[in-house]
Amino acid sequence: MRTVTDADGARRDGPGVRGAGALLRPPRNQMDRRAVPVWTIELLFLTVPVVAGAVAAYWIFTSRPVWLGVLTGGFAVLLLTLAVVTPHAHHRLNRWEVTDEAVYTRTGWFTHVWRVAPMSRIQTVDTERGPVKRLFGLADVRVTTASAAGAIKIEALDHELAAELAERLTAMTQATPGDAT
Amino acid sequence: MTAWRPLHRRSLAASAAMSTAIVVPVVVVLIRVLPRDWTVPARAGAIAGAAALVLAGVLVFDLLRLRTTAWRLTGERLELRSGIVFREHRSVPRDRVRSVDLTSDPVRRALGLAVVKIGTAEHTSGERSMLTLDPLSRRDAEELRGILLLRQAGQEHGDDPSRDAPLAELDWSWLRLAPLTVWTVAGGALILGIAYKPLDALGFDLFESGAAAQLWDWVTTRPWPVIPLLLALNVLVGLAGAVVTFATAWGRYRLEREPGRLRLSRGLLTARSLTLEERRLRGVELVEPLLLRLGGGARVKAVAAGLRKKEENEADEVAMLTPPMPRATAGRVAEQVAGTAFPGLGSPGRPGLRPHPRAARTRRLRATVVSTAVLAAVAAAAARSWSLPAPWTWSWAVPVLALPVTLWLAADAARGLGHALGERHLVTRAGAIVRRTVALDRGGVVGWTVTESYFQRRLGLITVSATTAAGDGHYDVLDVDPGEGLDLAARAVPGLLDPFLRTPGAGPGARRPAHADAVTTADRPAGRL
Repeated sequence: MRTVTDADGARRDGPGVRGAGALLRPPRNQMDRRAVPVWTIELLFLTVPVVAGAVAAYWIFTSRPVWLGVLTGGFAVLLLTLAVVTPHAHHRLNRWEVTDEAVYTRTGWFTHVWRVAPMSRIQTVDTERGPVKRLFGLADVRVTTASAAGAIKIEALDHELAAELAERLTAMTQATPGDAT
Repeated sequence: MTAWRPLHRRSLAASAAMSTAIVVPVVVVLIRVLPRDWTVPARAGAIAGAAALVLAGVLVFDLLRLRTTAWRLTGERLELRSGIVFREHRSVPRDRVRSVDLTSDPVRRALGLAVVKIGTAEHTSGERSMLTLDPLSRRDAEELRGILLLRQAGQEHGDDPSRDAPLAELDWSWLRLAPLTVWTVAGGALILGIAYKPLDALGFDLFESGAAAQLWDWVTTRPWPVIPLLLALNVLVGLAGAVVTFATAWGRYRLEREPGRLRLSRGLLTARSLTLEERRLRGVELVEPLLLRLGGGARVKAVAAGLRKKEENEADEVAMLTPPMPRATAGRVAEQVAGTAFPGLGSPGRPGLRPHPRAARTRRLRATVVSTAVLAAVAAAAARSWSLPAPWTWSWAVPVLALPVTLWLAADAARGLGHALGERHLVTRAGAIVRRTVALDRGGVVGWTVTESYFQRRLGLITVSATTAAGDGHYDVLDVDPGEGLDLAARAVPGLLDPFLRTPGAGPGARRPAHADAVTTADRPAGRL
């Protein structure tokens, strides 16, 4: 089990260099533990057909030279490793928080992204559940502002928590007058 | 005004006139295609028949459109019924109307008609956010514009709307800035390329007729006088094109402020007038494409919500408030549109922008060198593996030879980076090919996105973008020092970012504890409710 400080990205990358992670505190909440198997399954759905296709093509359409075999094998191992490793990284790095004033999230592995939207500028709040997430009792909450820059997504919450959060956000945003632009 | 009203009948006349655009090519093609052995009356009859058929088709379609379209303005809503096959009924609350745009091309102008496009605040893309009344009589259109926008100004308006001096008016000396676009250089070749297809359809084949071959002969036998001559001709055509485009698009240009809104009118042949509520304005942008910038010019663009996007056949975006004009004039207009002074306009006596760290320059130079190396390597590998003929084997040299230019552009881009906080605005500048200085109203910021890519992390840089409902949706402060960037964001919108900063003192805006007692249900660890 990793600790919070491990996840907060506060690690310095060199002498004298302060990253944004050293200045912005991580959002309070981690994603649900069940997100890891969900993402693993979702990623395997994508990668297994590709790997199977590549291996089949190698076996059927080529004269099976060794170097191509090594290349195909490496490709397959890389994709499958990514499918297994990425969800853990996501779970460790993606965090969220909702205060009375704002929604705050952090996402990203190679590129870290922190997003803040003030409660008064939120326009719509939706919950989404894909088939695999439904199986594990999870849901995503999507928060849109008037900006065309895209919605803020809080991924993989327990579905009851997600529904409650959506309801609370909706109630809070309705309390603010104006059209939130 | 609660009865349903039709569009204007004279639309039929306009459509008939427009249909010549289809009739003429049809006639020309028929003349070439019809068998030579037909008698002259037979051929004339066939051609006349085809022309009549096209005209009738256009008229019937327009008549159906007129018959099926109706609009009305009630106390609260503007409603539009339309559609010949798929009926549509759209209804927009009057207080959601954001802009009213009147357009008359020469034909409609001669007939006293105008197309009215009404921009709404509905959050849908493209045409869905527009209501188009095509056409109304000029008088009705002006009246509708007045009714839709006056009521919203929410203040008494003088009887004389143009009592103030305009913010900007066309100065024909700006014409010297008009040719400073890429199109001038590409001019002649571009026109030839566009004209090729129709000429080909009419049977003038440039290659078969031997004109191209003859030209090639000239070039190869006497390259010295011919090539510069061709280039000069190309630029000359481009120049003429640029001047004509400028004159038609921006002739009779006038930008004025009416109570609560901006009004832009322009166009020598096609008269356009755009009215934009100031309530919708979230800032201004100073746009400087490279050539224009080198020529000392700039343009001003509005950052506004509810403006439609550029259409395919339009040369300029709707939000563009000015033609190319001298930099100082553009700065003055930008400041007047924004309402207050803001830093970074480069005018004497005004504060400038804070430059970005050296690392931003390092990042750009490095990226340029790496991409040049990759391009050259790929070109060399391609030439080798496919054993291409002589000139292609040297293609790898092109990116290398271009290196001084690209490095200059990279350094220039880094030099251009800057940000500052104005009295009411957040100002950010970036870009080399097109340099943009954006002054975004701090009240229009609807959130922040802080991005730190792997490479930025290694150089100690971040990108801070302010999201907004207007314009591009987000405006970025590129490659800024993390401490400085977050401080800027914290000060631009006090209170929003502070709770999430590690040291609450970092944002001097608000000095309260980092976690504002907001530990509520959702802040408990996930899944334990």
